Amino acid sequence: MTALQAPATPTAYGSARLLAGVTHGGRAELALHRTLHGPQQHRTQGVLVSETATVRLLGRGGAAFPVSTKLAAMRTGSSVEVVVNGSESEPASHKDRTLMTVAPHLVIDGALVVARALGTRRVTIAVHDAAAHASLAQALQERRRLEPHPERVVVRLQQDRFVAGEVRALLNGLEGRAAVPPGRRTLPSDRGLHGAPTFASNAETFAQIALLVSLGVRGFTGVGDPREPGTTLLTVAGDVPVPGVVEVPTGLPLDALLRPDGVHGPVLVGGYHGRWIADTSGLRATRPLLREAGVPLNAGVIARLPEGGCALAEVAAVSSWLAAQSAGQCGPCLFGTHAVAQDVAALLRGRPAPDVTARLRGLVGRGACAHPDGTAAFVGSALASMTEELLVHAERGGCGRPYLGVLPLDGLHS
Amino acid sequence: MRIEVDWTRCDGHGMCALLLPENIGSDAGGYPVLHDRTVPRETMRHARRAVATCPALALRLERE
Repeated sequence: MTALQAPATPTAYGSARLLAGVTHGGRAELALHRTLHGPQQHRTQGVLVSETATVRLLGRGGAAFPVSTKLAAMRTGSSVEVVVNGSESEPASHKDRTLMTVAPHLVIDGALVVARALGTRRVTIAVHDAAAHASLAQALQERRRLEPHPERVVVRLQQDRFVAGEVRALLNGLEGRAAVPPGRRTLPSDRGLHGAPTFASNAETFAQIALLVSLGVRGFTGVGDPREPGTTLLTVAGDVPVPGVVEVPTGLPLDALLRPDGVHGPVLVGGYHGRWIADTSGLRATRPLLREAGVPLNAGVIARLPEGGCALAEVAAVSSWLAAQSAGQCGPCLFGTHAVAQDVAALLRGRPAPDVTARLRGLVGRGACAHPDGTAAFVGSALASMTEELLVHAERGGCGRPYLGVLPLDGLHS
Repeated sequence: MRIEVDWTRCDGHGMCALLLPENIGSDAGGYPVLHDRTVPRETMRHARRAVATCPALALRLERE
């Protein structure tokens, strides 16, 4: 397989904030981290709610939920749990594991800010990536030696199945149960880890909170789109000028990342639960804007396929992978994702798949988690934006171009 | 009240679609298709019977 891997060194467009000091390689150990970002600071819950609201900070895991709303809903006290979701179980995404590997102290700073604001000492960081785990463990050792803190921070290496990264599945895994989503919808803020009120968010979210506390509201909002100020991490894959993890100011035109040459073709926005779009002109890397455009950024994966490869084969491969990732708990997801994958395989061979539209509709809203919905979005948008490819395949039984495996299917072990 | 399905429990027996056709249909595999989650007062009796009859205890009524 020739999957395009994220290079070891991440890149920043404009000034690096999360990735300050590490865009030329290496890792920000505690002394460098303190030089770059200053001492650990704290905020009360009220101030943190107000500041995250002012800078319009949105969760960076996928749902883009306002951090201030989530913080404001939290009860406080010593039983509260803070969970850093660094699982990043999507193979195409590398931004969280990269961030935790090269700038672990920023994530820990943010987790400590939230823990202190909520009056608890209980912090769990859950990761699926061994290098990120090692870097965080080393960072905690540095702190024990140089900068002891009263909070008890535990780093846990978890299962790497796709749906295991969903927050409620993650909480199940942390409690020693199967890492699958529960059938009843419960909010972690009400009943999370070990039944305690839990503030859970994505690893980058915590790093952004640390930046906000370090830079202050004015400093934080100094770059980016006013609708979502600051910077964001993205993983850019495929036929692009700079593949891999990038930090960009929000509001950056996607075409600056994808196609300075202006050539168009389907682009995947938002990863394997995301959507394909035929024309990216006018789109900018701002979550509210992309949501309005119908292509939510989710966990920040953007991919452009090379013209020399078969686009439909990439979609078929990911469709099969998505079907295999169903936890098998919910019938419509288990049967539906497999049937859809077979439909895409048929279309790839130029055969008809008359039921695919109905099958895609049958995935929407019919599972314990968003996996069936995400799969329907990925496949449905691919078929809608690849009409030319589909025609060629239907007429000739294929396009003659090879499957390149640009979209990685097992990034965790590659 | 609103009808909710626990998809992790549902085995596609299809009883709910028979007992509460006002809200629920079924797909080719027998799994429920929710046309409308809201249960009006007039059909509440049917809804309660569907909830009680589900062999997998996958159906429930929740306050809106």
